[in-house]
Amino acid sequence: MKNSTLVFRSLAILIILAGTAHLVSYASPKHGIIQDSEVSADAYSNPKPSQEKTSNEVPETDYLEGNWKVNYSTEAFKGAVVYSIKKEGEAFHAYTYQYQDEQGNSEEADGAKTLTIKSFDGTTGKGMYTMKYEQEEYEIDCVIKRVDDNTFTLSYDYYGYSDVETWKRQ
Amino acid sequence: MLELLSKKLDWVDVQYWFHIVNDLSLFYIILPFFTLELIRYAYLKRLNKDLILDTIANGITFGAFFVIEIILGLLAVTKIYFWIYQNFSLPHLELNWITIITCILLADFAYYWEHRMMHRVGIGWATHTVHHSSTHFNISVAYRFGPMDGISAILFSLPIVMLGFDPLLVLLSEIFVLTFQALLHTEIIGKLTKPVEFIFNTPSHHRVHHGSNRQYWDKNYAGILIIWDRMLGTFEPEEEEVRYGISEPLQSNNPIKVFLHGIFRLFRKLKKVDGFKNKLLVFIKPPDWMPQNQDMVNAKSNG
Repeated sequence: MKNSTLVFRSLAILIILAGTAHLVSYASPKHGIIQDSEVSADAYSNPKPSQEKTSNEVPETDYLEGNWKVNYSTEAFKGAVVYSIKKEGEAFHAYTYQYQDEQGNSEEADGAKTLTIKSFDGTTGKGMYTMKYEQEEYEIDCVIKRVDDNTFTLSYDYYGYSDVETWKRQ
Repeated sequence: MLELLSKKLDWVDVQYWFHIVNDLSLFYIILPFFTLELIRYAYLKRLNKDLILDTIANGITFGAFFVIEIILGLLAVTKIYFWIYQNFSLPHLELNWITIITCILLADFAYYWEHRMMHRVGIGWATHTVHHSSTHFNISVAYRFGPMDGISAILFSLPIVMLGFDPLLVLLSEIFVLTFQALLHTEIIGKLTKPVEFIFNTPSHHRVHHGSNRQYWDKNYAGILIIWDRMLGTFEPEEEEVRYGISEPLQSNNPIKVFLHGIFRLFRKLKKVDGFKNKLLVFIKPPDWMPQNQDMVNAKSNG
C-alpha cells in the first residue's frame, strides 16, 4: 500500500473519530444545563420537563438561594468570600459577592460565576465548581450536602486534590 | 439515544468501571483462563520444564517492565500529558459515553500504529522482540514485555490528548486495549464466527501475528479491531499452522537474557555497521535493513 494512502486513510479515521466526539460535545447542553441562549434552539429538549418543573416547585431547594460565606485559609488567599446564590432556570448559580480579609475588611467582588448546582433535592446535590490555579481555570465536579438550615458543605476531588468547604448562610 | 450517549458522566463512576475491566479482570478472567491453559497443556502432555521456565520469565519481564512503566507513567501522565492538555489541546471534551467510546477507538488506532512502528523500526523491534521471543503461546506471553515497550505508547497517545481527550481517560483506554489484547494470547480458542473475525481482533488473528512463518511476518498489528489491518494493508488470515517465536530463536529462558536480548542484538548490529549515518539508520530503519554494501546476514528476527 502506498504511503500516501496510509496517511490519508489514517487522517480520515482520526478526523471521523475525534470529529464525532467534538460534534456531540458541541451539540450537547453544557454540563446538562440548558443555557438561556440555547433554549430557543430546542435541540436538547429535556425528556422530563414535568419532573423538573415539579422539582422547581419544591420549596426545599430554594433553601440554597441567598448569600453564603466561606472561609479560606490557603497560601493564595486567607479570609472569606461571600457568594450570592441565585436560581436561574433549572439550576442554581453562585456568584462572588464580597471578599473579606482576615482583619474583617471587605471589598466588593467581580460577580464571577463560581458554582453551578445542577441538581439539589433539598438534602444533597451535584454541581460544577470553577477553580483558578496558576492562572488556569478548572471546572470540577462537586457534591453539595445540607448540614442544617444555615450550613451546607461542598466537596470535590480532582485527580486526588480534594477538599470540603463549609458554606454558612450570611 | 444521542441524549444518553452525550449525558455527562461522573469521573468516579468511569474510573470504577475501568477498574473492574482493566484491573480486576486479572482475577476473574486472566488467572482462571491461564489455569485452564495449564490443565490443557497437562492433558496434551505439553506441560514441561521449558514451558514453566518460559512462564516464569514472562512474569519476571512483566515485573521489570511494570517498574519502568510506573516511573514513566508518573512522569508522562502527571507532567507531559497534562501540560499538553492544558497548552496544546483542542477544546476539552466533557466526559460522556461518546467521548469514552471514541477515546477507546482512538487508543486502539494509536496502538495499531505504535505496534506497527515497533515491528518496522529498529529501536522498536529491539524492545518488542522480547514479546515475540517465546516459542509458546498462552496468556502469560501477553505479559512478556521488553524494557522500552511503554515509551512509544506515550508518543502515540499524545495526539489523542491534543484532540481534547482527558489524559486520564486516554491512559485508561490504552490499558483497556492492552487488557483486551491479553485475552487473545491463547491456542484454546479457534476461529470465531465470520462477522466477529471480520471486525475484531481474535485469538486466530493474533496467532498469525506471533507466527515466525514467513507469510505471517509483520501482519495483524491490531489491538481490538482487526479492521485497522484490513484498511491499512497488513491483514493476514490464519491458514498454515503457526510456528511461534522469532526467526533467530533466543534459546534461553533466563529472564535477564529474555528481557535484554533485543537491546544486545541491536548493539551487536551497530558494531558491525560502518559509518555514523548507517549507525543512526539502524535505529530508524526496519530491523532487517542493512547497508547495501555490507554483507550481513538478515538481522531481522521477526515473529
